[in-house]
Amino acid sequence: MSDDAFLRVSEVSKWYGDEQVLDGVSFEMDRGDVTVLIGPSGSGKSTMLRCVNRLAEAQEGSITLDGEEVLSPDTDVDELRRDVGMVFQSFNLFAHLTATGNVALGPRRVLGLSEEEARDRAAAQLERVGLADQLDSYPAELSGGQQQRVGIARALAMEPKLMLFDEPTSALDPELIGEVLEVMRALVDEGMTMLVVTHEMSFARAVADEVVFLDDGRVVERGPPEQLFERPEKERTGRFLERIASHD
Amino acid sequence: MAGATRPRTVGERVADADPSAGRILLVAAGALFWGWLLVSWVNRWLGGAIAPVGEPLVAPETVEGAFAAVPGLAAVAADAAFVVELTPVLAQGTWLTVVITGVSLVCGFFIAVPLAVARVYGRFSAWLSLGYTELLRGTPLLAQLFVLYYGLNLAASVPAAVSGVFPRDVVWVAILGFTLNGAAYQAEYIRGAVESVDDGQITAGRAIGLSKLESIYYVVLPQALRYAIPSWTNEFVYLIKYSSLAGFITVPELYYRADQVATETFRYTAVFLVLGAMYLALVLTASKFMERVDDRVAIPGLGVDRER
Repeated sequence: MSDDAFLRVSEVSKWYGDEQVLDGVSFEMDRGDVTVLIGPSGSGKSTMLRCVNRLAEAQEGSITLDGEEVLSPDTDVDELRRDVGMVFQSFNLFAHLTATGNVALGPRRVLGLSEEEARDRAAAQLERVGLADQLDSYPAELSGGQQQRVGIARALAMEPKLMLFDEPTSALDPELIGEVLEVMRALVDEGMTMLVVTHEMSFARAVADEVVFLDDGRVVERGPPEQLFERPEKERTGRFLERIASHD
Repeated sequence: MAGATRPRTVGERVADADPSAGRILLVAAGALFWGWLLVSWVNRWLGGAIAPVGEPLVAPETVEGAFAAVPGLAAVAADAAFVVELTPVLAQGTWLTVVITGVSLVCGFFIAVPLAVARVYGRFSAWLSLGYTELLRGTPLLAQLFVLYYGLNLAASVPAAVSGVFPRDVVWVAILGFTLNGAAYQAEYIRGAVESVDDGQITAGRAIGLSKLESIYYVVLPQALRYAIPSWTNEFVYLIKYSSLAGFITVPELYYRADQVATETFRYTAVFLVLGAMYLALVLTASKFMERVDDRVAIPGLGVDRER
């Protein structure tokens, strides 16, 4: 890909103690791209995602976002995270706040909007994810699918340049997965740049520009979904995809 | 859901209230107790507008007569009159007990929260917090009060601004002692609650660009302080009773007053039974009040199956 990639991850390595979890991971994304990270559990996909907004610290390598070095000690991580939205596997909604409160907190306290502006923005984002009728519901009153959509709205309310999805549907009952994927598809259609860790292969196949297969902290293989899914070059990729398929 | 079922007005709450005899009795006793205290205090502030200062609101003779007229109660009529005679002193002592407990609890809270946060999220400060907590919890409260009062003679150095607020400046020393000691206990309860908040909450706060302290302030504490209420109520209740130790550094609170009367009249049993009932009433009020607060701030949808 070109030198002016929007997100460039190069030779990123990370250790937890003696254990190496990422080993020279590299990939790039252009603006508006959707990249899906797949791989067995423990392969380092979530860690890789978290290195991008520095919820995890990579010890080696470089990550540039929109030309700025993310891993530099001079980088203001709070500023970085304003631009990078994140959606969690376990939703992590603020339990004591309503849907509106959850989405409005960032705009209010991080972006410095007034209470009213923040609430308006929250309402607009919740409407965007189809929850206009749940503005005043608390997380514990919502289904998993609704909670995850609030989670997406919360990230979107910061108007991020890049969205990170960390297995957004893995904690959901099967019948609730569809509504979340639908919201994510709509984001793809709007041109959002998205880095997604998921086991939803049909989603990856449908929307990904590139699929990156990680195993043991290394990029085993990467390529467009049709190539990676139909004609994987590496044997390990093929075995992993077979295992996933037999579970579906 | 839960929000909609929570009664909003006093009328709704009265209508919803459990009408059992026990409850009615408890509410009536509470109303009588606090009514008597409030009227007594107001009477003293107004310089005896309702009854002469130092005199019971109802004449002991009237009570004695009323008891004597009822068969079966006649035997205790003299005791009842004695208790009524005690009431002005008890009300006066209770005022200090309530003020000392309330002020110490609130001041202690504002020390306890940073202590708890430091303990969970700090590095060096976690050790400081641990040291403070263990020192204050590991030594007798009475010894701490003695150090402040006799050892450091703090009653002599009460700032002029607050000197004279209470009949004796030593009350401030007691408040300081209970604040410092109570903060250690409160910090332990709050720490437990802070630890029970899922790590993902702070991660989510950081992910939208809040700093660590902001995440703690806006995300962790609002949850932790709610979760802490039931166990924190223990400290409230303990402090009401521990405040009697202030009597040992000459603070004329409830215990001190009662002890004086008992020594003067030699009616130890009667006096200390009444004293016990006074503390029980205060403690019951505190725990019922905190139960209300807990229900009031409960997060809708969470623990709705937790019936009281």
